[in-house]
Amino acid sequence: MVRELTTDYAGRRGPLFRLALKTSLFTVLTLGFYRFWMKTRLRRYYWSAIRPGGSPLEYVGTPTEKLLGFLTAVVVLAFYIGVVNLVLMFFSFSLFEGNAPAYALSFLGLAPIYFFAQYRARRYLLARTRWRGIRFGLEPGVKGYVWRAFVHWLVTILTLGILWPRMTFALEKYRTDRTFYGDHRFEQTGRWTGLLGAMKHVYLAVALIAAGTLAAVLSEEPVWLVAAAMGGVWLALGLAYWKAESFRRLTEGKRLGAMGFRCRPRPGTIFGIYLGGSLAISGIFAAVLLIVMVALGLVLGAMFASVDLDAGFDSPEDLAGLPAWLFSLVGIAVYFLIFLLWGALRHVFITMPIARHFAEVTTIIGAEGLVGVKQRERDEFAEAEGFADALPLGGGI
Amino acid sequence: MSAFEAFADFFDGASANRRRVGLRLDVEALVLGLPEGVPLRWPLADLRARPDQADPGRMVLSLAEDPVARLVLSDADLIARIRAAAPALKRRPPVAHKGRIAGWALGAVASVVLIIFVLVPTMADQLARWLPPEGERALGDATFEQIRNALGRESFVPVDVCEAPEGLVALEAMAARLNAGDDLPYPLRLTVLDDDLVNAFALPGGRIVIFRGLLDEALGPNEVAAVLAHEIGHVVGRDPTRDALRLAGSVGVLGLIFGDFAGGTVVLVLANELINASYSQKAETGADDYAHELLTEAGLPPAALGTFFERLRDEYGDAEGIEAHLSSHPQMTARIEAALQAQAAADSAGRLGPPALDDDQWQALRSICGPAEHQPVEFPEDAMPPSHSPDDARDRLGTSKTEKSK
Repeated sequence: MVRELTTDYAGRRGPLFRLALKTSLFTVLTLGFYRFWMKTRLRRYYWSAIRPGGSPLEYVGTPTEKLLGFLTAVVVLAFYIGVVNLVLMFFSFSLFEGNAPAYALSFLGLAPIYFFAQYRARRYLLARTRWRGIRFGLEPGVKGYVWRAFVHWLVTILTLGILWPRMTFALEKYRTDRTFYGDHRFEQTGRWTGLLGAMKHVYLAVALIAAGTLAAVLSEEPVWLVAAAMGGVWLALGLAYWKAESFRRLTEGKRLGAMGFRCRPRPGTIFGIYLGGSLAISGIFAAVLLIVMVALGLVLGAMFASVDLDAGFDSPEDLAGLPAWLFSLVGIAVYFLIFLLWGALRHVFITMPIARHFAEVTTIIGAEGLVGVKQRERDEFAEAEGFADALPLGGGI
Repeated sequence: MSAFEAFADFFDGASANRRRVGLRLDVEALVLGLPEGVPLRWPLADLRARPDQADPGRMVLSLAEDPVARLVLSDADLIARIRAAAPALKRRPPVAHKGRIAGWALGAVASVVLIIFVLVPTMADQLARWLPPEGERALGDATFEQIRNALGRESFVPVDVCEAPEGLVALEAMAARLNAGDDLPYPLRLTVLDDDLVNAFALPGGRIVIFRGLLDEALGPNEVAAVLAHEIGHVVGRDPTRDALRLAGSVGVLGLIFGDFAGGTVVLVLANELINASYSQKAETGADDYAHELLTEAGLPPAALGTFFERLRDEYGDAEGIEAHLSSHPQMTARIEAALQAQAAADSAGRLGPPALDDDQWQALRSICGPAEHQPVEFPEDAMPPSHSPDDARDRLGTSKTEKSK
């Protein structure tokens, strides 16, 4: 009897928005200290929303674990960043009389730490994820990941991005082959060439942009730029296609014992989410800003009306009879408000819909094998994902 | 055989197998009826509900001492009754490793403090000395261009450099009078920028920038000479270079701590200002002391530094309290007193000579950016600047302000 488990998704926009906004507010009020709690709570929500076979995933990480990991990382990284940046700036100006080399070298120096942080963060995330009570896990292997990532990135940059699918597959295989569910090990089957098909639209679009631009420059006729513009639109669609297709091919290539996956994401849906989401966010933002400006205008107008204009003034603050610091405070408040709103809206309109789509199109095949999966030991892993928390690794959950 | 009230999914945490169990809520426990064998009893006091779940219609229960077993129920009625009956659903396990967290927190704070306030400044000091002059000039030039662009204000044109030949000659003459030659690691480059700002500063590599606003505010060449001497003090101490290097070190570390939380950059900037300020106050006092010496050597009155600041204080206010800590300049009162003390010492040693520039040179300097905006102020032949009351200063400055408003 071959059993298949479809995945349903339980996340809803409203509750997620409220959670994201509330936790972001606390984070700002605590000057960033609450962010460990914020991330943990959002992860709990996102994980429990995904329900393969109706049973939810569970995130069991704790905020204090993250905090401890972060503090550990700070002790090490503060030294590295403080001293190394300073020395690099010195050498950059001594030898090259410019600060560009310093920034470039600083970047290069941080790359290994960056990859280190990536792998360890994934290890922590998997170690604290459970499904049906059974833990996931990632074997230690960070050294191998760091040098592989470094070399692959170098190759990708040298080939101007053409070998991006190769890097994607190689790193995904390295991670997947060391990933466990209970006592069963995952395996990434397939070859990197299988991903070329997923990248085809990106290649074609970039070629069109390059050709169009070149033709416009050589023939000095701007009409060719239209081709480049069309290439731009194609590129946007092509990236959505890559995201969907690469996910499908990589997921369908994964095995857990005799179990596997079937995955049918729709590139059109992915693109629609990004496009629609961006428009929705911009629209809401514009509306909120408009309301805030109107409100501010009304308040200031009331204040101006009550002031004697003949007395003369040096600046708007004097006119309104308010100290300058109040204006700065309002400015700072608006700045933070924008960040809070933007973060929460991004969760609601982009991150969650994408997660939902990928979850709902994924099916586990051969699920009768689950009976044989046994529990694995807890991975204590004190450093948690401290380095990833300390370095700016970009958004995401 | 008591009937079950509802069914739920049970995961025993030993295998990934899902079991359907019957549930019954007893007085003291939740009873799980397993398909095979003895029913499990989960005491109500030990029931914990997993937090922040996406589906409000489901409850995921765990047992206090058992970290892996899970019970997932969706029967609304039973969920409500469990919520009412179980006393500790929301209790979290006590924070593990409290000692370790405290220890590492202390370590992190100590590490950061040590690095920002000791290691980085020390290294910046040392490295500033070793930086070859061409490198410093490059650093200074890069910063200079940035500043010119930043001050462009409404237009996107960078602020003009004032280059009237007679003015430049006068400026060089003033620098020559001060005669800092031997102390300087590289030759000075003096520049006047055409802006209202009443300020002057030194950049790495020996470039000193004076704003036209400062020339307009000064009552006589001795005051400009005093400011120039102060800035030369910065150049001699290589303060700008040390600042730039120190900034490179600190900013990275601060970014690390505050992370990329929403709007973190604002806090970053504020924190950096704070660190900047305490470090710079020492440098400012040092530059003041050097200026007093340089002025005395050249036969010029150190008090000029004091009176200039006094007028600026009357006009712009002193930085008291918190602002004093944030501003990089030591409170002006302290500076004025120091200047007057140096003056007294110079007086008693009889070391004062003629003013820094003669009438023609002073006029040339004031017109370096174009024709001077208001009548020159006569000053007496001896070197002492005219005594004045704050009211005189305010009147004079009041007129010039409206003239300057564009």
